[in-house]
This record gives sequence, C-alpha cells and structure tokens, in this order.
Amino acid sequence: MSLTRRQVLSSGAAAIASTIAKPAIAAKEPILVGYLPALTGPSSSTGVGINRGIQLAVQEINAAGGIDGRQIELITRDTQSDPTKAVNGAAELTRGQKVSVVFGPVNSGESLAVVPLLARTNTPQVHPCWVDTLTDPKKYPMCFRNAPTNQQIGGAANRYVVEVLKHKKVAVISDTTGYGTASVNAYVPMLKAKGADVVYQGNVDAANPDLKPELLRMQSAGAEAIMPWSVNAGFLSRIINTRGQMNWDVPIVGQTTLGSGQTKALLEKPDYWAKVYPNNFRPVCYSPDGKLTDRTSAFLDRLKSAKIEMGDTLLWWIALGYDSPRMIAEAMKNVGSDAEQVVGYLNNLKEFPGVYGDMSFTPDRHDGYPDEEVVMVEANSLNNGAFKLAPGYSA
Amino acid sequence: MVTSIILSGTAMGCIYALIAVTYNVMFSASRVFSFTAGTLGMIGGVLGSLFIARMGLPVFVGFPLALAGGALLGIVTEIVAVRPVLKSLDQHLYVLSTLALALMIQQFTAIEWSTEPQPFPRLFDIARVDFDQQYWLPMLACAGVIVGLELLYRHTLIGHAFLAIAEDNYAARALGLPERRLRMTSFALAGVIGALAGFAGGEMLLAFFANAPMLTFYGFVPVALGGMGNNRGAVVAGLLLGLFQQTANFLVGGIFASVAVFTVFIIVLLARPEGLVGSALQRRV
Repeated sequence: MSLTRRQVLSSGAAAIASTIAKPAIAAKEPILVGYLPALTGPSSSTGVGINRGIQLAVQEINAAGGIDGRQIELITRDTQSDPTKAVNGAAELTRGQKVSVVFGPVNSGESLAVVPLLARTNTPQVHPCWVDTLTDPKKYPMCFRNAPTNQQIGGAANRYVVEVLKHKKVAVISDTTGYGTASVNAYVPMLKAKGADVVYQGNVDAANPDLKPELLRMQSAGAEAIMPWSVNAGFLSRIINTRGQMNWDVPIVGQTTLGSGQTKALLEKPDYWAKVYPNNFRPVCYSPDGKLTDRTSAFLDRLKSAKIEMGDTLLWWIALGYDSPRMIAEAMKNVGSDAEQVVGYLNNLKEFPGVYGDMSFTPDRHDGYPDEEVVMVEANSLNNGAFKLAPGYSA
Repeated sequence: MVTSIILSGTAMGCIYALIAVTYNVMFSASRVFSFTAGTLGMIGGVLGSLFIARMGLPVFVGFPLALAGGALLGIVTEIVAVRPVLKSLDQHLYVLSTLALALMIQQFTAIEWSTEPQPFPRLFDIARVDFDQQYWLPMLACAGVIVGLELLYRHTLIGHAFLAIAEDNYAARALGLPERRLRMTSFALAGVIGALAGFAGGEMLLAFFANAPMLTFYGFVPVALGGMGNNRGAVVAGLLLGLFQQTANFLVGGIFASVAVFTVFIIVLLARPEGLVGSALQRRV
C-alpha cells in the first residue's frame, strides 16, 4: 500500500495536534497527595481524629474546583502505627505512585523512620510530629512541621507552673519509655533555667500498680506541682488517683493525655480530675468566658453540618488535619506542584490562617507553630472535643 | 509509709504467688513450663472488666464466667501448645510453643479489647479505707487457693491422681490413670487460678493487655525462688517478692526498684540454685 502526500500530511498534523494537546490533558490530571496516617493499631487515636479533618478539607477543596481545575487525589497508606509499614508506605507513595507531596506520618515513631527516606527522594513533606529532631532545614530541606515541637510543649507547661501558678518546687515524673525519659531529660534543665527547684525527678515503670511511694517522696520533698510526661493513660490515672487518695491538693500539669477520655475512664472519682492541666492549643480552646474564636466556631459549625463525629476525639486533631491539605493547596495554587517551587513557597510562608493555629516557616526554621498558642487547659472541661483554658490565661 | 508497703506489697505478692501456682499446676501435670501463666492472669482481669463493667452483668455472674474463660484458655494451652511437644520435652520446644500462644492471645486481646488500660469495676460497693478491697481481695484469693489446693491434693481422689501423675507419669499410666484427661483437668485448674489472680488483682492492675508479660515475668520469679513445682515455696517467695519490690519502690524508687529485685533474684539463685525452699534434685545413676 502506497501513501499519498495528503495522507502523510494529515497523519503528521494529527501527531502534532496530539502533542500540543498533551499539556492541556495533564493540567486536568489530579494532583497526587501521599498520606500516611495511623488509622489502626495502638497509636491510631490521633490518626483517626486527624483523618476526619483531612477528608473534609479535601472534599471542600475539590468541591470548590480543586487547584487550578485539578482535583486533589489523596493516596492513603495506613501505617497501622508501625514504623516498618510507614516506611513501606512512603516508598510506595514516592516511587510507585510518584506523589507530589506527602502528609504524615502522624506519630513520631513512624516519622523518625520516614523523614530521612523522603528526604532522599526529594519529596516535599509536611508532618505534625513533636520530636524535636524531626525537622532540620539542612538535613531535611523539604520537610516541614505544622505542629509544635516537644520543646514548645514542655516550655508551655513549665511557663504555666513557674510563671502563672508561681510554683517553684516541682516534681517531674515520666514512664520508662523513650518519650518519657527524653521528656524528663529535656524539661528538667528548662525548669531549672526558669528558676524552679526540681525536688523530685524520676522514671517509673508504667506497669507499676502502686505509685504511692513516688508521690510520698514528692510530697516529702515539698513539691508544689507534679509534672507527668507519659502517653500511658493507666500511668497518668494512677498518679491522679493516688493524689486524690492522699488528699494532696497540688496541681498536675503536663502531657495532653492527662485530658483524654481513656484517662478519665480510669479515675476512681470524677472529682480527682480537678486541678489537672494538660497541654493544648489556644485557637481550639474555650476562653475563660466559655467562647471559641470566630474562626473555630465557624469550623465547628462546618463539622456539625458535615455530621463529623467529635465526641470520641479531640478538636485540635481534626483542626490540624483540616489545615494540612489546605496549606499544601495554598502553596500549589500559587506556584504549581513542582517540588522545588512548593518548598520555596513554604520556606517563606507567613501566618497561614489555620484553625489549629497560624503557620509560618522560614528557610532556617521549618517548625511552623507559634510558641504563644501552646497553652494549658482544664482537663475536666472537655466539651465537643475542646477544653477551657486553665486558670490564669487571659481571653 | 510502712502500712502502705505492707498492704500493697502483700497484695502484689499474693498476685505473683497465684501466677507462680498457675505455673506449678501446669508443670506438675506435664513437666512443661507454660509461659501462658501471665496471660491467664491478664485474661482474668480483661474478662472481669468485660462481663461486669462493659456488659453490666452482676459480680456473681461475671466472676464465674471470667474463671470459666480462664479454664477454657488453660485447656486450649494444653491442646495447642503442650500436647504436640510432650514427646520431645528434652528439646524444650514448649518454650517456643507456649510463648507463641501467649503472644497470640496477648495481641488478640490488644486488637479486640483495647491497647489502653481499661477500668476494672469495684466489686463491692463499700467506702474506701486504708485496708481497701483492692488489697484484701488478692490476699483472700491467695488464701482460698492455698486451702483449696491442700484440700484437693490431700482429701480427694482426683487430687491423689494429680499427685500420682506429677510424681511418676509412666507409673501412673501403668496403673490405669487417664493421664491425658487428668492433664487437661490440671490445665483447666491452672486457668482458673491464673484468671482468679487477674480478677482479684484487677482493681490494682486494671484490665490491660500488657499485664500479660509483666505477670509472666514476675510470676516466674517465685517459681524459681520457691523451687519448681513447690506451691508452698511459690507462695512464700511470691509474698517476699511483693514486699521486697514495694520496699525497693519506697527506698530507691523508679527503675532502680526493678534493678534491686532482679539483683536479689540473681544472688539468691547463685547461692541456692534449687530455690529458697526447694531441695537439690537427686538423679538416679
């Protein structure tokens, strides 16, 4: 079969036309966002809460037309609270799915394994994990934290005890996990630098059923406040129960788990939860007069209209999840989905208005959460997943 | 302070002693150290909380159901982890098989029950006093088990049969004793005792899947100190362990208390490898 000149020209024109059309089709392709939550397993309560916010935000962004007409496609890999599975998920997201950006993991143990891996694949990453070493603009230039660091968490608790409650004699206790011991080692020097006298310092096996010896030791040392650092609800509830049994009226100030439903369920009397002040975040807390900020109130209304369950989780988890894809979408709306461009944009982000808090980064600081928003709250004031600010904070 | 050491130390000692007796009852019937002993304790606490706190059953119903759950698990241990390895006891395969079963039960509990400690109900609605029910319940359970086992072993036919297979398995079989059925009954009995330990200690230990390795570990110490298969030795050593542990908690505190416990444990075993109460094994040549 011979080809006529017309056939050659028409097929050539078709080929050229198809090449020209390609960018237009690509522009309609979804933007792939990798997502590594722990939705199952022992540390999944955080991930389940964050997931509700993420899903709502992605639905809203896509319903509003996406990013320049491109929908966000969330590619989720459940880490099952397991660092090994988190690493496998991260490798698949970057090498197999070739996502533009990764959000997560949401637990520090998993992030410790994933952050160096993503740094090697030059994939922009946003995570909400607190361990200080999980951001480093030199080692991990594409990794950003949209949550506080452990230093900020401990700093807020220390400020509250020393500057607001005006207590100088402090007992610092943790369990024997890596998190617990690292927290005590980090926070005790910070307390001393603030002029506090750490009269008791100890790491105790969380399985120890009787913590009375430890609290008696704190009491005899003259402690005016107890600062526990543990995520183990059993351990924390034993401290609270023992304080109650001893009729010892000192405040307990520390880890967010002090205010969790699991801790509450293990208290011998509801009254024992009084004068217990866990960490939390000002934008998602009730002010002393019982009000939320306008931004948070509007968010709460959106959650209610979307019928998102709040009774079994915490508002700050949902808010953090909600803010994360919005911040990524904001970057991509301005500079596109190219990795270098997204990182360049985030490096100069100033006060991105989140429900959880306003996020800012610089090329030298990839920890975006503002110090002053980390606060302490009254554990027994939980309502709709949010707490009331602890006494001493202004509205 | 002394009162607190004695109360919580004795209560914990009783729980350790009951777990040690659980080890011994299984050991006597099979010559196997089943590392499911602590798991049986954990299950007693979890089932107690499940039946009474979560399902709202009265204590007099929830309590026997929890013990029945322990008995069932004891029988499962015998069938799944012990019977298949009895022919090669000298290879100590039971260490692997019982540990594997214990881990499976522990992980299943973590997934289906909770990875967080759950509240254990107060069994008697009475005001809290220094000598609270959380302390006297394990003591009562321990005393009950000691008396019950003494009566069983000394005054019942089935008790004599248990002693016979513990003493000489082959001779007992030669006399026509149903060795397999007796072994299964022993494991069921061990399951009841283990579950009782976790149930009676539930108010102290809470209903928590991670109690299993803790009880397996600390429950084995009185077995080693008291002499293997020796229930009286296990009870004495269990009580001593509880009291020493609480004293160490008061005196040195924190992680050093565990270090103190295991330092003394190692020193005692170096000095008396047969245990504090046991006698050196004589082997016929």
